[in-house]
Amino acid sequence: MVKLGIIIRLIETVGRGLIRFIEEFGLVMFLFLASLVWSLRPPVRIRAIFKQMEFVGVNSLLVVLLTGIFTGGVLAFQAYHGFRLFSAEGLVGSTVALAMTRELGPVLTSLMVTGRAGSAMAAELGTMRVTEQIDALYTMACNPIKYLVVPRVIAGVLMLPVLTIIADFVGIIGGYLVGVGLLQINSGIYVAKMIEIVELEDIFNGLVKAACFGLILSLIGCYKGFYTSGGAEGVGRATTQAVVIASVCILISDYFLTAAMF
Amino acid sequence: MKKLSIEAKVGFFVIIGILILGYMSMRIGRFKYGPDRGYEVYGYFDSAEGLVKGVPVQIAGVEVGRVLDITLEDGRAKVALLLKPDVTIGEDVEAAIRTKGVLGDRYVELILGAPEAPPMKPGGSIKRTASPANIDTLLKQLDSIGRDFKQITGAISGVFEEKEGQASLRIIVDNLRDLAQTLNQTVQKNNENINRILDNFTVFSTDLREISSTNKESLREVVANFRQASDHLGKTIIAFKQITDKINRGEGTIGRLIQDEETVDTMNQALVSLREIAEKINRGEGTIGKLVQDEETLENINATLTSVNDFLQKEEMFRTYVDYRGEYLFDSDNMKSYLSLRIQPKEDKYYLLQLVDDPAGRTKKTVTTRTVDGVTTTEIKEETEKDDFKFSAQIAKRYYDLGLRAGIFESHGGVAADYYLFDDRLILSMEAFNFNEDEDPHLKFKADYTPFRHLYVTAGFDDFVSDEGNEFFFGAGLHFSDEDLKTLLSGAPIPH
Repeated sequence: MVKLGIIIRLIETVGRGLIRFIEEFGLVMFLFLASLVWSLRPPVRIRAIFKQMEFVGVNSLLVVLLTGIFTGGVLAFQAYHGFRLFSAEGLVGSTVALAMTRELGPVLTSLMVTGRAGSAMAAELGTMRVTEQIDALYTMACNPIKYLVVPRVIAGVLMLPVLTIIADFVGIIGGYLVGVGLLQINSGIYVAKMIEIVELEDIFNGLVKAACFGLILSLIGCYKGFYTSGGAEGVGRATTQAVVIASVCILISDYFLTAAMF
Repeated sequence: MKKLSIEAKVGFFVIIGILILGYMSMRIGRFKYGPDRGYEVYGYFDSAEGLVKGVPVQIAGVEVGRVLDITLEDGRAKVALLLKPDVTIGEDVEAAIRTKGVLGDRYVELILGAPEAPPMKPGGSIKRTASPANIDTLLKQLDSIGRDFKQITGAISGVFEEKEGQASLRIIVDNLRDLAQTLNQTVQKNNENINRILDNFTVFSTDLREISSTNKESLREVVANFRQASDHLGKTIIAFKQITDKINRGEGTIGRLIQDEETVDTMNQALVSLREIAEKINRGEGTIGKLVQDEETLENINATLTSVNDFLQKEEMFRTYVDYRGEYLFDSDNMKSYLSLRIQPKEDKYYLLQLVDDPAGRTKKTVTTRTVDGVTTTEIKEETEKDDFKFSAQIAKRYYDLGLRAGIFESHGGVAADYYLFDDRLILSMEAFNFNEDEDPHLKFKADYTPFRHLYVTAGFDDFVSDEGNEFFFGAGLHFSDEDLKTLLSGAPIPH
């Protein structure tokens, strides 16, 4: 009988895990729908949105620039070694450009922004929650979702594509500098092949992906912060979880978005 | 240094992003394929293996178009080629599917024929095509040849292998041998007969010669008979002559008709007047004469035809669009309507005339300054006309995916930029107008999406920098070109 009890407890753990997952997923979805509804209701808090856009977008610029340029450069290095095997060095440019616009630009940008802004969202909202500022907003008849979540989500969705296109561009420049400057690939062939192979669709699908990632990271950051409990320790936990969950979700959804688009 | 405002920072940031996007898409989207840019021709290939949509079409290595579509028609590949409008090819052009690069990318090469060949019309089909000669098909052909050979040899060997076949073959061979033997025997046996036949022939020809020499008299008689016959013929002719003489003298009905002076006079008169008319025409007198003789007339006709042709051709490019759009404003719960006429003389240029029914109305501000006894009073009068009509008049020019507009926007001066995406189905626009010293400019962002041919939906954010008037809107519109009218004007077939 003892053994049966252990087995049941094990099964319970699995069940609890699933229920918790569904619960959390439901709460995130609820937050998404609520922020969607609230974002359509006037008045539009344009100033709050701008503030978040500055925080998510403008202040992430340096990080994204560095990530983009070095990713492009290292891609050119690696691709060069592969293509040299069958004398197709001219294809390095298109490889770098395709990889940046389709995959690395959106994903790396979103991961960087998750680390910078997603964590900050969770920490900010979490602190507001544990110091009961969010409850105070309720008592002032000010919907905290409208006031806190909506501007962050809008900023995430709008800013990530902009950051991504910048990352794409500097990534391609980084690849060019390494390919043409260091590895002595003919610049004409490099650029011509790139223009020939990269399609407008590649760039746009990358931007659509970036917008989806922006939604995911801001939503999860806000969600983790919004439902924080347990004081300062809880805030720390919420921040960590926000970054981890958002990063994993971005990578998983990236697979499905790519499968659906290309 | 003054610190930049948040809005300015975000604004700069977004502008940089849009500029980079614009630059990149302009570099990539060199030759866009809207529905109107270029014309289609078709080529029928036995195999379009390896060919995909969008690969280039080249003439002498220069890209002149792209493969638009590949479909199956009667077991052959029908390849639609979209050529640039400035590229002309003759009807004797040859299309070949070629391979380039180490990776074996396929493309279509057009080989031009004689320069004097009549030009290919849009929608025409290329007569001569060459399918890709790859190793696969080569092997396949060799394979089929080999198979045919095998069939023949198989059949022969089958004949030899089968007992029946062997038997019949043996019979054939036996028959042949018999035939040859019989022939031989016949010739040998009838050697004498044949000799006699030949002798007879000799005798016959000798007789013939003798007949001709001995019967000379009879031959002469025959000739005499002929002469008699011809004499009779002469008499008959004389009789005929008498009849015609009778007619000439006016005897008999026909004679009377022909001999009657009146008849002849009438006929003469008719002939004279006919000649006069012809002479007049020749001299260029009279209306018809002038028409026929005057060089100018011909030139005029030619010029008219040319200008009609020009007009019709222009008519092909010239487009007019009528457009209605309604926007529902969420905040003020109102409808804003636009009725516009778009005149598009060229593909990349158009003029827009628009009538706007704006529920927000127009605010008129009058500042009156009066000085009475050294005291200056300033009176500001603000009048708002509700539900006012405004008008827009703009010129627009398009560069690749980017369109720029300038002119009058809702009765104020302004500029706008449009960004065209997904074959022009999605248009993102940013308008800025009403630049005014004491007010923020009116900025409007909108996105138009056209899922169907004449219908589109729109959504956007109007006047978003101002604190009062900013509001989201959502709406739909109808969009008609002059296609129907144009069909009547120029699309109808004209006999050449």
